[in-house]
Amino acid sequence: MKKYLPSFISGFGAGVLHIVPVAKSLACCLIVPLASFTALILDRRANPTDEKISMKKGALVGLFTGLYAALFGTVFDLFITLVTKNNDIVAMMPELQKMISAFPLSDAMRTEVLNLFESVRNDIIQYGFSPLYTFSIIINNTVVNSIVGTLGGLIGAQIINQRLNNRNEY
Amino acid sequence: MWTAGIFYSCWLDLFNFLIYGYPTVKNTYSLVCHQDPAKLINLSCGNSFVCARCLGIYTGLLINSFLHIFHEIKLKKNFRLVLFATVPMFVDVVSVAAGIYDYSKTLAFITGLLFGSILFLYLYNGLQNLIIEIFKR
Repeated sequence: MKKYLPSFISGFGAGVLHIVPVAKSLACCLIVPLASFTALILDRRANPTDEKISMKKGALVGLFTGLYAALFGTVFDLFITLVTKNNDIVAMMPELQKMISAFPLSDAMRTEVLNLFESVRNDIIQYGFSPLYTFSIIINNTVVNSIVGTLGGLIGAQIINQRLNNRNEY
Repeated sequence: MWTAGIFYSCWLDLFNFLIYGYPTVKNTYSLVCHQDPAKLINLSCGNSFVCARCLGIYTGLLINSFLHIFHEIKLKKNFRLVLFATVPMFVDVVSVAAGIYDYSKTLAFITGLLFGSILFLYLYNGLQNLIIEIFKR
């Protein structure tokens, strides 16, 4: 467990930041990569060494950070949706309806799409929970955050190794 | 594909069935961008799914990856490179947040483009070393 503690802490932080609007607007797309970088630094602090970080380790730490970020991000998102009975999908509905009306779709397709989105919206407004929405954010968060986290871990390991190189040269 | 997905609204004109995926794809990009309406790129076919800065970062990654096919740029062992790429973006973010000047999509895009281009070198080098490590075994 100790091995995954830096990823856990950074992943938790990223999960929290995902739902804080101000933090999200500042760090934007760099939240999860920065969390991976932080996890690598925390790991280095916990196990001080002069050795370079292997790319495999960088990728693994990043992957776990992304997975923890996805786990916490999803739990927080679902919890907030359950309590407030409102979320991005509900807010997006008027824009979506307008868009669907403007598209040259067949009547059958238009009705089908609108019914599908309406059912998700109604579930969220009534119960604060929609199985389709839950499924989509679990898949979304897991796939996107694990990829972005892994890439962040690889880049972070490169940066830390480069800093180490520079320090050794002086 | 990722960069093309940023303009999902424009693809809807060509492929109507993509409308089914609209909320999910928009939600996917919301994981990597705040999607503040004032900072999105407006096109006649709709808004982009990410802000100008994020679009700059992804465009920088894309352009550099294309350039890399024809000419490999070696990552110099100099830590200043990452600072050189990060400082303009950081200064822009802080200046806008502090109210020193108003948000400019052009400036955000350019600073993001610079950051993304340099980021690609680290990413490419990292992936290259990862593959070497895996096949060494």
